[in-house]
Amino acid sequence: MASAPRPERAPRLLAPCLTRYPPPPSPTTVGFLSMEEEETYLELYLNQCAAQDGLAPPRSPLFSPVVPYDMYMLNASNPETAFNLNPEVKETSGGFSPVDLSFLPDELTQEDKDQPVIGSKHETKENSESQSQQSRLPSSSEQDIGLGLNSPSLSNPHSQRHPSDTDLVQASPEKPDSNSLPLASITPMSPVTSVSECCGIVPQLQNIVSTVNLACKLDLKKIALHAKNAEYNPKVRFLISLLLTKLECNGAISQSRLAARKYARVVQKLGFPARFLDFKIQNMVGSCDVKFPIRLEGLVLTHQQFSSYEPELFPGLIYRMVKPRIVLLIFVSGKVVLTGAKERSEICEAFENIYPILKSFKKA
Amino acid sequence: MPGRGRCPDCGSTELVEDSHYSQSQLVCSDCGCVVTEGVLTTTFSDEGNLREVTYSRSTGENEQVSRSQQRGLRRVRDLCRVLQLPPTFEDTAVAYYQQAYRHAGIRAARLQKKEVLVGCCVLITCRQHNWPLTMGAICTLLYADLDVFSSTYMQIVKLLGLDVPSLSLAELVKTYCSSFKLFQASPSVPAKYVEDKEKMLSRTLQLVELASETWLVTGRHPLPVITAATFLAWQSLQPAYRLSCSLARFCKLANVDLPYPASSRLQELLAVLLRMAEHLAWLRVLRLDKRSVVKHIGDLLQHRHSLVRSAFRDGAAEVETLEKEPPGQGQGQGEGEVGNNSLGLLQGKRPASPALLLPPCMLKPPKRTCPAPPVSTVTGDEDISDSEIEQYLRTPQEVRDFQRAQAARQAAPSVANPP
Repeated sequence: MASAPRPERAPRLLAPCLTRYPPPPSPTTVGFLSMEEEETYLELYLNQCAAQDGLAPPRSPLFSPVVPYDMYMLNASNPETAFNLNPEVKETSGGFSPVDLSFLPDELTQEDKDQPVIGSKHETKENSESQSQQSRLPSSSEQDIGLGLNSPSLSNPHSQRHPSDTDLVQASPEKPDSNSLPLASITPMSPVTSVSECCGIVPQLQNIVSTVNLACKLDLKKIALHAKNAEYNPKVRFLISLLLTKLECNGAISQSRLAARKYARVVQKLGFPARFLDFKIQNMVGSCDVKFPIRLEGLVLTHQQFSSYEPELFPGLIYRMVKPRIVLLIFVSGKVVLTGAKERSEICEAFENIYPILKSFKKA
Repeated sequence: MPGRGRCPDCGSTELVEDSHYSQSQLVCSDCGCVVTEGVLTTTFSDEGNLREVTYSRSTGENEQVSRSQQRGLRRVRDLCRVLQLPPTFEDTAVAYYQQAYRHAGIRAARLQKKEVLVGCCVLITCRQHNWPLTMGAICTLLYADLDVFSSTYMQIVKLLGLDVPSLSLAELVKTYCSSFKLFQASPSVPAKYVEDKEKMLSRTLQLVELASETWLVTGRHPLPVITAATFLAWQSLQPAYRLSCSLARFCKLANVDLPYPASSRLQELLAVLLRMAEHLAWLRVLRLDKRSVVKHIGDLLQHRHSLVRSAFRDGAAEVETLEKEPPGQGQGQGEGEVGNNSLGLLQGKRPASPALLLPPCMLKPPKRTCPAPPVSTVTGDEDISDSEIEQYLRTPQEVRDFQRAQAARQAAPSVANPP
């Protein structure tokens, strides 16, 4: 327990002023996309995707991030009303492979050869997406400096000086040179590789939640009868089916897709006209170990806007990173769990952001 | 309460609103005199103390507030009064409740959640004023589940965008220790067990600080650590008579619940103290064990800063060097080096090489090694052979068997299954 006196916290009566968003961009971001522009651009893109998919917004309660890999749910009701029958398949493979081009959707290869127009429109969309991602990278590195990663200067978390939250976040853009962070050295044009530059620690993917639209009515009872490893609960009307592919790190996303295709094939074999539409990764969970203990009490003091540490409820600290939008669970043993990602690059980026912060809390 | 009038009998200002069946009454909390009673008949003196005013004089404030919100606000005030919080806390907590109520999700929530919300608002207020109120205490008062409480609490903090400081450990030690009934002799507390409050408080505080420095507090519930520290402090103040008393018995006679993790915290704390004792010259020769070290806690605490520095090397740096060198060789080298470097100023027997200063979860060996998963070369677009799909389907024979089994299960009345 720190012997330093705790700062007197004035009770915030009716002031919901603390939001979880970073401050307005510093002058150093001139020339790149400003934060607000980025946000709106991102929102626009997501809205377009949502409109095309006809899916619920990504935060729909159906897809909780902690569903184990081998149980994923299909919407049993008539999907034609719920989903858009637009035969496009988007796989968000992110910066996973070095060649980040869109690929042809399943539909085009198997059946509908007469939809190349839509296909090509898709390709351009994928390209523009990857371009926008890349153009976001330099501003993200700038912005991260502005996001309060001034941890090297706050080496002693129990120091007497407790700067207020606003000081913390605004002070950092003024001294970018004190940040010997490798973040600034990320070259914009290279795809995000899976090896982080600062530590050689790579977050391993543990779990992927994905959905696919089979676009046909399913008789759940029949499937439960004829398929092994399937259970049907009439009250909930969900079919849970265990496919035996194990999840392993680097192949995770393609494994997920392969498993989904196997599932569709099984359903096809049972006589339903199943198709393979809208394969989408909803959530990815990764974990890694920084191999040193972390002073969570200190971390929650300096990063109050992002952290939530309640030892009475949960032993880990919950860190909600704004950019990328990832939630990290940080434990005292140094193990970190990252969740909420739609792409592998987000997980790597989030880890690269958090590693310098954690390093500053290494010394007891 | 200020502004509410005085009790006609004893003149105190401590008037509380209480309800007798369905009739609300204003009662003096000192002498129990009923000051006002309902609104059916009023006398002249009643009117002076009347809380409910006639319609023509009312401000109509309560009209705009829904009944459930009024109930909630009353519960907030009651809870503050039960906990004997300062009056300013009440207003803050009420303001938070009102603020929460503006959100549609809260308005539509179940009654159970609204009840728990009362506790959340009070807890946030206490935290912001460094008042040490634990979630366990509130859940006990509200008869609420900790899970329900935790989900509501996290939701409301996010919803209102609040900045809630951590629980203040020093304040918690003071309040928690003061609740131990050991400061006066009584039929259940023998004379030798009675202890001076100030001495116990200061020693417990030092032990808790030591625990916090040696990674015993981070990530854990704070209360069991304080229980263990209080026990050790109490024992060490008069070890001759108190070493025979166990932790469970101690809590029983102090009239305090024993939290389950407290015994393991106690063992961890004793292990830390033993390590420190090995670096005090006059204690090293004594070859202390877990019981005898209690007698010397006073000494150890007096020199705790230098002892912690010498007894524990930086676990973080050590783990890194061990990682970089090959494991077997690194261990031997690391140990030998440190053993040679340690403390030339201490003569006589060389102390044991400093232990790693790490949280207990990192000191225990991992239960099973996690092999690095092989890099898989799955592309996701591979062909899926028919035979592979066949293995997921039941053969017709199996289908028939399954159907027969299901029919049999449904026919027989299920006796074994609980409802």
